[in-house]
Amino acid sequence: MALVELQNVSKQFTKGEQTITPLDHIDLHIAEGEFVSLMGPSGSGKSTLLNLVSGIDRPDSGSIVVNGTDISQLSRGKLADWRAKNLGYIFQTHNLIPVLTAYENIELPTLLLKQTAQERQRRVQLAMEAVGLSDRADHYPRQLSGGQEQRVGIARAIVTHPKIVVADEPTGSLDVNTSQQIQVLLQRLNQQLGITMLMVTHDTEVASIASRQLRLDQGKFVDERSSTSTFCEGGQSDA
Amino acid sequence: MLLPWEYGVRNLARRPIHSGLTLFALTTVTLLIFVVVGFIRGLERSLAVSGDPNVMLVYSLTSEENIENSSISAQIPDLLAASLSATVKHFGITHHSPELYLGSRVTTADQSPGLGLVRGVTPTAPLVRRTVRMTEGTWPQPGEVMVGRLAATKLGVPTEVLKIGNQIEMEGQAWQISGTFAAEGASFESEIWCDLSDLQTATKRQDLSLVAMLLKDRTASSEVDLFCMERKDLELRAVRESEYYQTLQQHYRPVRILGWLIVGLVATAGIFAGLNLMYGALAGRIRELAMLQVLGYKRVAILVSVVQEGLVLASAASLIAGTFAVCWINGLTVRFTMGAFALRIDSLAILSGCAVGLLLGILGALPPALKALHASVAINLKAV
Ligand SMILES: Nc1ncnc2c1ncn2[C@@H]1O[C@H](COP(=O)(O)OP(=O)(O)O)[C@@H](O)[C@H]1O
Ligand SMILES: [Mg+2]
Repeated sequence: MALVELQNVSKQFTKGEQTITPLDHIDLHIAEGEFVSLMGPSGSGKSTLLNLVSGIDRPDSGSIVVNGTDISQLSRGKLADWRAKNLGYIFQTHNLIPVLTAYENIELPTLLLKQTAQERQRRVQLAMEAVGLSDRADHYPRQLSGGQEQRVGIARAIVTHPKIVVADEPTGSLDVNTSQQIQVLLQRLNQQLGITMLMVTHDTEVASIASRQLRLDQGKFVDERSSTSTFCEGGQSDA
Repeated sequence: MLLPWEYGVRNLARRPIHSGLTLFALTTVTLLIFVVVGFIRGLERSLAVSGDPNVMLVYSLTSEENIENSSISAQIPDLLAASLSATVKHFGITHHSPELYLGSRVTTADQSPGLGLVRGVTPTAPLVRRTVRMTEGTWPQPGEVMVGRLAATKLGVPTEVLKIGNQIEMEGQAWQISGTFAAEGASFESEIWCDLSDLQTATKRQDLSLVAMLLKDRTASSEVDLFCMERKDLELRAVRESEYYQTLQQHYRPVRILGWLIVGLVATAGIFAGLNLMYGALAGRIRELAMLQVLGYKRVAILVSVVQEGLVLASAASLIAGTFAVCWINGLTVRFTMGAFALRIDSLAILSGCAVGLLLGILGALPPALKALHASVAINLKAV
């Protein structure tokens, strides 16, 4: 069984008279350790899909099973607990809290887990090492460069050792050089630490670091390419 | 799980000028509340401690409730002493105090005339007026007066003007101040006391305003009542002193209601100061609050943290205002029609001041926080 299984998932939005269907009966399977990138035109529903997998939003129909739990059935409170334990979220604009230091920002999600202070400290330090920012622990976000801020954002997403990390255009607001460093980092996290990732991007070069590339258009996946995985859109195969 | 405490506190430093101004506004509001409640409590206390339940006042039936208008014959005290067994008597001295009480223009050493409350008394007065203690100097001899702790406030002059040895002028005569006295906050403190017969001579009166009697016990008052009823020809009325001041309290009810009304209005204004801060503070933080929810923080936790922010500011305001009130406002004296009294920052004043202060923080933070958390996380993540 795959780590993430979306079955027959639909999502609609109504704006006045108009109804948009960004996700129209979609199936998606992601195996543990996979790195999936998601591309598509602006407004095609990439963020919507990401939010469904993250348990931030609910599908209109279909089921979303992550690590054996159907998260589309969970209550709001249960979803929050589920996110704390299972999800890492990397934002386009990192969303760091300006009044907290890099260390405190990274520590934030660990405060939701039942851990000893020692274990917490160890995890935060590990996460900082993983993104190469151990020497910036006491810096506030405004004292960091854009790339460093995104590294803190990534460390915050992996510090709880989540089942899956999602990223919504993680390099979207970075210059080319910094973007490449972040790509290398994400790839390394996937390959060395085995972190399962689902990443939205509009940049084909960024998408190419993934082991499987998906393209979303008109509510459906189109033109799926896979470099290593045996998964396909229909999802009949299994790991 | 709650957000770390530092988050709430440091958020206040994000917009330091804004937070500073709000702190100032909240402090002012809380301080105003301390002043008004202190005023009400001071007034209440001055009237409450003035009434001794064991003291009976006998004065003329025709004077309505105003003792200043009362006139009774100078023989009444002896007559009462001879007819009643209810009055305390020790070593042959009846514990009653014949008094002449009037409002009079008083000119002080600095030439400013003011309306003073003057009471002509005999040396038995302190036996009945048991709260009265001399604080300095000596009991007034003919041509002398002693002044209450708040007499200067009542006259609207600085305290030094009424210090021992100074002269005052009243009833067309010069008087020397021989002593000062206090009365545990009772209304006597705003009065000027002198020798009864001295005052009678100066005012060319032979009558009295009232007799105050110390009763053996509370039930003895019925005997005095009965006497006044049987001797209709004397046209006397008897009132327990505590009841007399309770009636006065009734008169000041509108003032007290007005006071509490002001507390309410000022508090409302304060809530808007709090609201303004928190709306402003949270407007730019919509995405951040959504991000916290993505991490797994529940809305209650975020709500608590935001309220914490308001509370930190409100607590600081209460602390500053409270310190200020206790150090500088407590005991501040106020002139009033029936005398003068001291503002009283007692436990109730502290409690209501701080409660209102903290409420300002909570009520100011709740609506903006609820608003920020109302929309869905997915939408708020897109906020700029
Ligand atoms: N909460 C919402 N309410 C209404 N329409 C929405 C909402 N979220 C997204 N949409 C619409 O759904 C479509 C897909 O949005 P999104 O998933 O953000 O696209 P993108 O692929 O650019 O990330 C867009 O047309 C967007 O306007
Ligand atoms: Mg998007």
